[in-house]
Amino acid sequence: MAVVTEQQGLRGHPHSQVRRTTDTALLGMLLFIASEVMFFAGLFAAYFTFAGQVKPWPPEGFELEAVPLPLILTIILVTSSFTMQYATMQIRRGNRTGMNRALAVTLLLGAIFLAGQLYDYANLPFGINSGIYGSLFFTMTGFHGAHVFGGAIGLAVVLSRGASGQFSAQHHTAVEAVHYYWHFVDIVWIFLFGTLYLLPLLK
Amino acid sequence: MFRARRAPFRLLLALSATVLVLAGCAQASYDNPVPQAVPIRAVTETGVMANELYLFVLAIATLIFLLVEGLIIFAVFRYRRRKGDDGLPVQTHGNLYFELGWTIVPFLIVIVLFVLSYQVQTKVDARSANPGLTVDVTGFQWQWTFDYKDQGLSFTGQGKTGPELVLPTDTVVHFRLHASDVIHSFYVPAFFFKRDVIPGITNQFDITITNPGTYTGQCAELCGIGHADMRFTVRALAPADFTAWIAQAQEAAKSTPSPPPSGAPVITESAASAAAFDKKTLEAPANTPFVIAFSNTSPPGVPHNIAIQNPAGGDMLFNGQPLAQPGETVNYTVPALPPGTYTFICIVHPTTMTGTLTVK
Amino acid sequence: MATTTLPRAAGYTRSWVYEWLTTTDHKKIGIMYVTTAYIFMLLGGLLALGIRTDLWTATSATGASLIPAALYNQLFTMHGTTMIFFFVMPMLAGFANYIVPLQIGAADMAFPRINALSFWIIPFSGILLFSGFLLGGAASAGWTSYAPLAEAKYSPGVGQDLWILGLLLNGMSSILGAINLLVTIFKLRAPGLTMLRLPIFVWTVLVTQVLLVFAVPVLASGLAMLFIDRNYGGSFFDPAAGGDAVLWQHVFWFFGHPEVYILILPAFGVISEVIPVFSGKPLFGYKAFILATAAIGILGFGVWAHHMFATGVVFLAFFSATTFLISVPTGVKMFNWVATMWRGKLNFKTPMLFAVGFLVSFLIGGLDGAFSASTPVDFDITDTYWVVSHLHYVLFGGSAMAIMAATYYWFPKMSGRMLNERLGQVHFWLMFIGLQLTFFPMHLLGLAGMPRRIAEYAPTAWQPLNQVATIGAFTIAASMLPFLWNIFTTLRHPADQPNDPWNAYTLEWATTSPPPPNNFEHLPEVHSERPLFDLKYGPHGGAPVAASAAASSGGQA
Repeated sequence: MAVVTEQQGLRGHPHSQVRRTTDTALLGMLLFIASEVMFFAGLFAAYFTFAGQVKPWPPEGFELEAVPLPLILTIILVTSSFTMQYATMQIRRGNRTGMNRALAVTLLLGAIFLAGQLYDYANLPFGINSGIYGSLFFTMTGFHGAHVFGGAIGLAVVLSRGASGQFSAQHHTAVEAVHYYWHFVDIVWIFLFGTLYLLPLLK
Repeated sequence: MFRARRAPFRLLLALSATVLVLAGCAQASYDNPVPQAVPIRAVTETGVMANELYLFVLAIATLIFLLVEGLIIFAVFRYRRRKGDDGLPVQTHGNLYFELGWTIVPFLIVIVLFVLSYQVQTKVDARSANPGLTVDVTGFQWQWTFDYKDQGLSFTGQGKTGPELVLPTDTVVHFRLHASDVIHSFYVPAFFFKRDVIPGITNQFDITITNPGTYTGQCAELCGIGHADMRFTVRALAPADFTAWIAQAQEAAKSTPSPPPSGAPVITESAASAAAFDKKTLEAPANTPFVIAFSNTSPPGVPHNIAIQNPAGGDMLFNGQPLAQPGETVNYTVPALPPGTYTFICIVHPTTMTGTLTVK
Repeated sequence: MATTTLPRAAGYTRSWVYEWLTTTDHKKIGIMYVTTAYIFMLLGGLLALGIRTDLWTATSATGASLIPAALYNQLFTMHGTTMIFFFVMPMLAGFANYIVPLQIGAADMAFPRINALSFWIIPFSGILLFSGFLLGGAASAGWTSYAPLAEAKYSPGVGQDLWILGLLLNGMSSILGAINLLVTIFKLRAPGLTMLRLPIFVWTVLVTQVLLVFAVPVLASGLAMLFIDRNYGGSFFDPAAGGDAVLWQHVFWFFGHPEVYILILPAFGVISEVIPVFSGKPLFGYKAFILATAAIGILGFGVWAHHMFATGVVFLAFFSATTFLISVPTGVKMFNWVATMWRGKLNFKTPMLFAVGFLVSFLIGGLDGAFSASTPVDFDITDTYWVVSHLHYVLFGGSAMAIMAATYYWFPKMSGRMLNERLGQVHFWLMFIGLQLTFFPMHLLGLAGMPRRIAEYAPTAWQPLNQVATIGAFTIAASMLPFLWNIFTTLRHPADQPNDPWNAYTLEWATTSPPPPNNFEHLPEVHSERPLFDLKYGPHGGAPVAASAAASSGGQA
């Protein structure tokens, strides 16, 4: 076995079982996603605490319109999950070009989502300092948006790597990791949309 | 491996028997509020029950402590490696019976403790449909107010001793707790009880004091820089004495402060919070009474006054009465002072609200 | 020379400063974690000495406490925050970092660069927090930072915001470290190292990391909400603005209770390494121990409101029941340790002294918990010095003692040098006695009615016990002197210790002291949770597996 230097770390390790690189990094991403889920869980817990004890809920003047913009944004984000999944399936088959195209579409959809979110923010009649509902709405959707932004950066990175010829059917861990993260971001949005926009309609 | 395989079973049996017997003894005394021979410091009905429960838990904990520490100390001495002995001891990996035993027995013990705790808990939290007295306690940075609304009485504390809460014994006293700013906690060690005073929530509970006497109370939830000095006293009187006290207090509340003498010089001061007076320095003429028109613009529940001290010895030269409630302006007539420099404070917030009064 | 050095390419020089600043080697990172944690321990200890000095006398004649309350409140807030987030957590993370890859036969952690990042966040976030002292006052609302006291209205000034930001960063470090350790443990174990052959230290670290992943983000969400309240007009926790003060407590303690298991479980793991080695026997009830650890981890998420009994707005019976219940697996561990010592051949080197000190002290702290689990009793003792006693018995008598044991135990492995035994004994006895003197009287003070977090107290009757506690605190401080002297002088010795100076059982002792960069030249086969023991003595103390292999790994007691 070749001499191992400190910088090489595990790659030259002679003793452990064959390092299944993909599984290792992906397990890391899944655990990271688990921690992010817990972060949002704290925010949702706060939301439901107030939704359960403040009457009426939403308070007067804070009713949200699910249509048209939030619904459109939801459709956009969900679609982007499909394009992301497609991109991953493509590279699993070795089709880097297909992956790159689908990644670009996903990134575009993500950017549109963010722009739409900002537009929505600008047109809402209340702010983060407008009492408890404003605090909750902007904190929850704001942190979600920040996570979408982080995911978009991830997408940009794998897209640029894909465009420069990296990734193959056997080696595309980063794409798998980003695709997990993107689905997570989408699922959080579905919960947010359901909680903030749809649940109040059940009254 | 072990000499007597039956030893673990016998041990289990003996332990369970002991616990059950102890539980039985403790049970017998819970419905009896009369203090027992053991040191009980609680002076309320439910406080005594909780106090006894504490002693029971202490007994169990002490037994376990002696047992386990005893085993540790014994092992430390008995199984010390002897000099020259380099051999391995028997490599025991485990013993199912012991492991089950020391899982099941503690499990049974905690069930007993839980059930006993739950029973006392129910009594502590019980509410009477007909309390003999209702007291509203307001906690604010850093003082207490006790309101007897039905009797038309209100007492706000001053300085580090705080107000006195006079209560009747052998009567169900219903408490309502209100917080004006941050979370405080109403704690009377002699009641073996505390309950948090939380803004936005009105905590309520009933207490029946059994022994007349004077007991200290203190805020038990960190509430800022005055937290250590947010104290009060409880004075428990026999019901007849309490009724007499009520009558007395109502008489005293009727007297009103005298109006300021006309022509006396007026200086103004105000306070928007408990953190400081609005003006840190005041000036007044010497050798003549003067009026301080004091406006309290603080948030609700935060009273203030103006008191004047000799800066050298700290003795109080003037203590403005009554306290100014938020939204009020009170005229304090200060008697003539010789020229010099004095310290003025708010008696309710003496550490934060201070200033210099120059008299010349 | 016991270490293996690799030949450097000609003309390639590197300063040791650059090397340590840029290293991604888990061993160096582990040492940096441990060293940084000790520095913060000393800082937190100085804060404690400030507290104890202030409490020497009851309210003085002039009616003012020795240290003004405004500063005193910063002292205990920063003391708690420092000890928890900058001493115990990074210390345990450091030992985990150093030891876990070795114990599982790996060459490094799964993500070495993220490992380095996790470490460097710690000193940076610590400086952020402490800078509050220079910028108008550090945080002063307690390490628990209850709302509304922690809101901008009642805690103006940047100190509280620095506290929030510093902890957010610190939390990030913990989460990344947890992910790293979990992936390392799951993915990088040596052949034959099944989960049920993992050293107990690795098991406790594993469960701890799961707790970190699930609990720390909840704290982060609470901190974010508090920051928004303080700086962006949010209304989460201030009832005056429509918020809910108790919500903060729920969010905080949902993190805060698993946090205390995060602080103690790896300590349990250390004790579970030391006691068997210094008793000459395996850990009694290895499987039960794992089950108990998992039980504590899971149950630990179901007890949080026992910190809130006095609020009057939580489901008392449920949380009392779960709190009582969690004492059962904890008790199982105590019995396992004692049974390990039973009929062993006990060797009282310094690590074992601290391990026994742990047993004696943690027992008291654990029994204290039973009182608090009983709600009517808790109504009296909560928020008093009883709780201060309980928490210090488990965190100092528990975690800190175990950390000392870990330090003396693994110092030879990490540095190739043995710490001086005589100085170690002086350290132990001073610390142990100091700990009892400081914290035992606090039980009585709590029962007498002394609340916690007070800058001064009125009853002169409380003075004697407070003075005993202060003397104890200075005794603990004094105990650190022989310890530090020991470290500094020992580091000047040549690094010539053998692989296995303690005659131990686990893989870290099957390599040189310190290990080479890739950790192992030869990895023994793993057939049980004591691979090195098997190599030396054969399974269950029978014939050695390979006598020549035992000789070449170079370690006998």
